[in-house]
Amino acid sequence: MASNTDKIVCRCEDITESEILEAIAQGAATADEVKRLTRAGMGHCQGRTCRRLVNQMLAKALGQKPEDQRPITQRAPLQPLTIKALAEYKEP
Amino acid sequence: MSAHKSDAVIIGGGIIGTACGYYLSQKGLKVAIVEQGYLCSGSTGRCIGGIRQQFSSSGSIRLMMESVKHFQNMEQELGTDVHWHNGGYLFLAHSPQKKQAFLSNIAVQQAAGLKDVRWVEADECREITPGMDATGLLGGSYCPSDGQAYPFAVVQGYAGKIRQSGGSIHTFSKATHILQQGGKVSGVRIESGREFSAGVVINAAGPWSRDIGQMAGIEIPVEAERHEALITEGVEYMNIPMLVDYRADGGYFQQYRHNGQFIGCYTPVPNVPGHSTDSTFEFLHQMPKRMLKLVPGLKDLKVIRQWAGSYENTPDGNPILDRTGLDGFYTVAGMCGHGFMLGPAMGRVAADLIVSGGRDLQYPEFALKRDFTQAEAMK
Ligand SMILES: Cc1cc2nc3c(=O)[nH]c(=O)nc-3n(C[C@H](O)[C@H](O)[C@H](O)COP(=O)(O)OP(=O)(O)OC[C@H]3O[C@@H](n4cnc5c(N)ncnc54)[C@H](O)[C@@H]3O)c2cc1C
Repeated sequence: MASNTDKIVCRCEDITESEILEAIAQGAATADEVKRLTRAGMGHCQGRTCRRLVNQMLAKALGQKPEDQRPITQRAPLQPLTIKALAEYKEP
Repeated sequence: MSAHKSDAVIIGGGIIGTACGYYLSQKGLKVAIVEQGYLCSGSTGRCIGGIRQQFSSSGSIRLMMESVKHFQNMEQELGTDVHWHNGGYLFLAHSPQKKQAFLSNIAVQQAAGLKDVRWVEADECREITPGMDATGLLGGSYCPSDGQAYPFAVVQGYAGKIRQSGGSIHTFSKATHILQQGGKVSGVRIESGREFSAGVVINAAGPWSRDIGQMAGIEIPVEAERHEALITEGVEYMNIPMLVDYRADGGYFQQYRHNGQFIGCYTPVPNVPGHSTDSTFEFLHQMPKRMLKLVPGLKDLKVIRQWAGSYENTPDGNPILDRTGLDGFYTVAGMCGHGFMLGPAMGRVAADLIVSGGRDLQYPEFALKRDFTQAEAMK
């Protein structure tokens, strides 16, 4: 549960450090699992800010190196696009 | 390595495996789930969370009426907010043929006890769906007690209850062998060589259920088919139901009540057979075109993510819920793109079947050996 001193890790979905630690305590061993348990990385920026932090937290909790952590799956579009802009696309 | 022992081993940690596990735990069985990835890594985490009772066969209608009751009580039952919301489903008819088909389905649905489904004229469709462009619309089939829920929360809710009852969930554990002893199933071996022994084994592997059947030499007629989806940023709730437009250039989409995101998909013509999680640029611009055609006011919404997953089709569009030729080995799979909504009732019915030793087949239409030629019309 979020406390006043809790740090926000995922700013888009308002997910705090303790919520992520709780997911790891529940058995999440990958960033993809943390994402599905907490929604960290599911918001507007698609994990641009929090994915490194989540990997660091996982690495620390599991006694591994951050660079050995598999990052969350990156999905298109790389940046949010409006329905209108996408709908106006015409096949060349 | 000593074998893990339980009463039932379930292959697959999606909605079907966890729902079966939950209901079996409630009956006092100790269950073990083996999942090749993590929970929801198959189709369940890729679905769009729609829940409807409008089907064309009385078996699916009755089963879905039960599922809706489970979803309504789920927050209390599982102690987790699963974001159930009865936003309704509106199926749109743009041709006299569709209208006729919906009218006859409504008669079947009402006869099966689904009382709040009804035909609505185009004007009322527009009232139900603020901002809808009703060009060419003849009307629709509307059921306000249909709704939505959040798949990850439902699966985690079931998983939590399974663990509380002494069951266990083994992620990153891929089943490779179905073990047998004296003509009966005796457990499952996973890739690492570890064995899970139990007198009951359930194939709840969704799009992969055919492969699991083959491990025991049993043919499970389930084929994967790729379906893509996208989701937008969250905005204020607009109070429109799930819209289903069956035209070749139509699609299905809804807005999540709990966070305002729009989520949608369509069935590509022609279909894309085989399991694949690759998404396409074609879908990324086609889906917005289709959404805009129905609700022009969505134009400034931003799409944040797209993905793909599998439907798990049977030849007649109905699930398989049955024992198999191997004693103790059951199949609960082939949900044909409706497994999330069917899950809770499927789990309940499967648990009854299993504790009866395979005798209590409440839905003979879902038998493994059946005439697969009577197709479900509301796919
Ligand atoms: C884009 C899209 C939209 C959809 N929308 C809806 C909707 O709105 N409403 C709805 O009800 N349904 C919807 N569906 C369908 C729904 O997602 C599926 O019917 C449902 O998730 C099937 O659940 P399942 O548990 O049978 O399969 P899955 O969720 O796929 O679970 C099977 C699990 O088995 C595991 N597995 C496979 N092989 C092995 C092995 N050898 N060992 C161990 N584990 C193994 C897999 O990793 C997987 O996690 C949609 C599907 C898609 C793709």
